[in-house]
Amino acid sequence: MRLETGGQINRDKRITFKFNGTEYQGCEGDTLASALLANRVKLVARSFKYHRPRGIMSDGSQEPNGLVELHQGDQITPNVRLTQQEVHSGIDARPQNYWGSLDWDLLELNDLLSPFLGAGFYYKTFMWPKAFWEKLYEPVIRRAAGLGKLSMQRNSDSYEKAFAFCDVLVIGSGPAGIMAALTAAKAGAEVILCEEDFRFGGRLNSETHQIGGKPGADWAADKIVELSAMENVRLMRRTTVTGAYDGGTYGALERVAHHVTDPQGAPLECFWRIVAKGCVYAAGAMERPIAFRNNDRPGVMMASAVRGYVNRFGVAPGKRVAIFGNNDDAFRTARDLDAAGVRIAAYVDTREEAEIDGDFPIYKGAQITNVKGRKAVEAVTITGRGDVMADCVAVSGGWNPTVHLTCHMNGRPQWDENIVGFVPRHGMIPGMEVAGAAKGHFSTKACLQSGIGSAKDVLKSLGISARAALTGSGRRDVQDHTVLGS
Amino acid sequence: MRITCPICGERDRREFYYTGSDDYLNRPEEGDAEGMHRYLHIRENPAGVTKELWCHEAGCGAWLVVERNVTTHEVLGVTLASEVAS
Repeated sequence: MRLETGGQINRDKRITFKFNGTEYQGCEGDTLASALLANRVKLVARSFKYHRPRGIMSDGSQEPNGLVELHQGDQITPNVRLTQQEVHSGIDARPQNYWGSLDWDLLELNDLLSPFLGAGFYYKTFMWPKAFWEKLYEPVIRRAAGLGKLSMQRNSDSYEKAFAFCDVLVIGSGPAGIMAALTAAKAGAEVILCEEDFRFGGRLNSETHQIGGKPGADWAADKIVELSAMENVRLMRRTTVTGAYDGGTYGALERVAHHVTDPQGAPLECFWRIVAKGCVYAAGAMERPIAFRNNDRPGVMMASAVRGYVNRFGVAPGKRVAIFGNNDDAFRTARDLDAAGVRIAAYVDTREEAEIDGDFPIYKGAQITNVKGRKAVEAVTITGRGDVMADCVAVSGGWNPTVHLTCHMNGRPQWDENIVGFVPRHGMIPGMEVAGAAKGHFSTKACLQSGIGSAKDVLKSLGISARAALTGSGRRDVQDHTVLGS
Repeated sequence: MRITCPICGERDRREFYYTGSDDYLNRPEEGDAEGMHRYLHIRENPAGVTKELWCHEAGCGAWLVVERNVTTHEVLGVTLASEVAS
């Protein structure tokens, strides 16, 4: 359901797209996920084995449920995340992994039989006669399981590869990444800033934090303008850094033309090999879910995702939202929903001593133990209270630093009792400094400071003084082909 | 992996071709059958620092002796094979 105001979307520019054969309208700046939620589409996929109904759970690349096939002519791109794909008029997105229709999936039967379908069931059961495996059993099982399908046609899209070189590679453009890029760029270093999203700013776009007296998203936009005016800075959005290799080499995939209807001859994707003398890794953190019965029902989402849809896309994922958390982030969700005029059905905090104040039912020291409803959330069961009507559940179990890339060269992260999560150790990737939430600094102020600090450490190791004046000798030795779209 | 060619500078390893141990620089005397056997077939295989011959195939074409640690992938030094041999 689209809210009256708010969000970083262009409400004047409506875009029609297709999902599951039906036409829907989104706005410029929407992802498929936010546009579908704006159209009150909750059921978007079926689970892998039991074909349980699944809905959108997150607002980023960590999305486990919202995977679709994108059809274009006889070409199919399988397993595209709804939460990453930008809306454009050429989109024909189709759900995958169902038999019959998405709404009436015949293989939901598997869910009812789940007590009998243990791990390895198929391999243990369909053993005899032997010849039947290849001819009958396996094709049927494959039809039932598996995710997106390939078109089996020759791929007519073009793909590109390219090299880039820099002094400092900054991965992630949240508060830590932006400050690291600014610090390095002002010292005269050649900087590449990679952002996975199509909008720079990281969580600042999805939260209501103020920096320097203005909204975080505006602050980020201003800083990006400042960076883009510098000759020695190269900004790469829609670019996921996928690997860290020996000698300061990083692999990065740029989605060049997935967001436009007509690529105008541009490649669909470009794989970059970026050689960096130093690196600041500021990839942020991911919110943890909480385990409870039926927590995969469409409408159960991460609290951060709910805030993201409200603040960034102007979309309320539900009309009556239940919030369930064990930390102060859950309260931030309540505050943002309240400000957006969305009704909070219940606020459930596992902490007895939590300090919460608001004009909504608050349950301290309680838990959500079950979700009622099948294709959408209808009610939640709260300990000591019973069932409460709700159509969306925002869950927050705390945050885990995104350590993945730091482990690419055999390093192991260490446990941090304070944040109850793993944080990277120093030196896991030679030449890399970790900053911001990826290091376990979860406040905006700490992120800004750690971005500056990490950039200074990298500059120091490169022999560049952070105070040195901008030389202006920056070169752009790689062609900037990120020219499509706005 | 990056290798610094003494002539061209630091390059991606894809520009280089690996040909084996630097033992190949010490060819035995003519008629030394045992020496030739060792030269062709007997190799140390240390988990640590090795010296290898690489050719800068997609660059200047120079033969290089690359000293590197095969467990950490660190490149410790690069010299022209012509200098090592002479």
